[in-house]
Amino acid sequence: MKIGIVNYSIGNIGSVYSAFRFFGLDVRFVQAPQELENIDVIVLAGVGNFITAVRRLKALKMWDKIDKEVIVKKKPIIGICLGMQLFADLSYEGGRTKGFGWIKGEVVKMDSKDLRIPHIGWNRVNTSGKGIFNGIQSNYFYFMHSYHFIPKNKNLICGVTDYGDLKIVSAVRKDNIIGVQFHPEKSQSGGLRLLKNIIEEINC
Amino acid sequence: MLTKRIIPLFLLKEGRIYKGERFKNFIDVGDPTSQGMIYDAQGADEIIIVDIEASKKKKIINSRIINSMITKCRLPIAAGGGIRDVKSAKECFSAGADKIIVNTHAILNPWLVKEMAREFGSQSVVVSIDVKKSGSNYDVYIYSGTRKIEVKLKDLIKKFIDCGAGEIIITCIDKEGTMSGFDCNLYSWLRKLVSVPLIASGGAGSYDHIVDLFKESDCDACAIGKMLFLRDYDIVRIKSYIKGKDVTVREA
Repeated sequence: MKIGIVNYSIGNIGSVYSAFRFFGLDVRFVQAPQELENIDVIVLAGVGNFITAVRRLKALKMWDKIDKEVIVKKKPIIGICLGMQLFADLSYEGGRTKGFGWIKGEVVKMDSKDLRIPHIGWNRVNTSGKGIFNGIQSNYFYFMHSYHFIPKNKNLICGVTDYGDLKIVSAVRKDNIIGVQFHPEKSQSGGLRLLKNIIEEINC
Repeated sequence: MLTKRIIPLFLLKEGRIYKGERFKNFIDVGDPTSQGMIYDAQGADEIIIVDIEASKKKKIINSRIINSMITKCRLPIAAGGGIRDVKSAKECFSAGADKIIVNTHAILNPWLVKEMAREFGSQSVVVSIDVKKSGSNYDVYIYSGTRKIEVKLKDLIKKFIDCGAGEIIITCIDKEGTMSGFDCNLYSWLRKLVSVPLIASGGAGSYDHIVDLFKESDCDACAIGKMLFLRDYDIVRIKSYIKGKDVTVREA
């Protein structure tokens, strides 16, 4: 199985690469549309600005190609942080911008007068303990974001995180599309286990 | 619930970690990658690594060191030292830093923070300010505590937050490396001004110093150095102790 990390952002994708390498997996960076054809699993990682990410993916001619691979060919895709937010219909970060629209819903600024924004640090993810969260002992993962994704279909949510009075959607899954708001590659043993679980689920 | 972070602080000189006292009398305490792996295994919440000579030498922090750390450690790394523009920040990010820390150059030109927040997002831009007590006020210093600059700390912080700084680290030079406890008055006062996560640095020397800081000031994180490198403490024991005192932490 070949894992392709889309190299589109200034965000730190080296850590994502080395996390998959930890399991001895075949992982590489992809930055041209034709390279996606040889890839079995697509990873969209990175932090940064939503509108910048969309523009860069389009400039690399990756946008339509990724959409086709995921929707037509049903290739598994893992979205991390901003990568997950790109699954949405639209985001307001950097101005109203359309996302892939694979999971209905919007990405909005975290808004609460009592909270420190950005949401940075280790926070608990409440899950069923099954599926991609199977066997993880500590459900604390590392977050760093100011916007969050509110999916319309609550059945697609598989992880929720409390931040003050906000309920942040921290993991979503719709068939071959899996996304997490936190950074598994930065979340020590729990994060590694999560990535391993995702790969195993995809393989089944 | 978001947990309080315990962050080992690596001050870098010529590729090695150094610890000093009040920004002077530095001694070599180890290799950043191997020390990084140790604290990662102990469950540190993040690592801050800052090259303290970079600005003076007009260089930026060595990207090979950042890269070596991120391939061996699975925790977030905030890197700084000599970052003066978007280009040098980019270099740090491509080497693998999760956040960049700006100090001297941002204080000289606060607009830099705005430019960086726009490019990389607020969550990745950390502003670090070194202060020294002077009467009932605090003076701001740049170039690793060697040059005082005439600006009000309060105004500077407000400006950085308006420009989109994602986190603020305040180092109290009087306390740095003394292991005599944090300046809790300073952080309690700052807490009211800082609407983004606030990191305290300078003075950690015992379990109770850390408990006191979190209880008195409600900072989001504390950076600790000498206590880890030169005394018999580790992250596991620190967290276990402060958890017993009802500070919300994550145990690995």
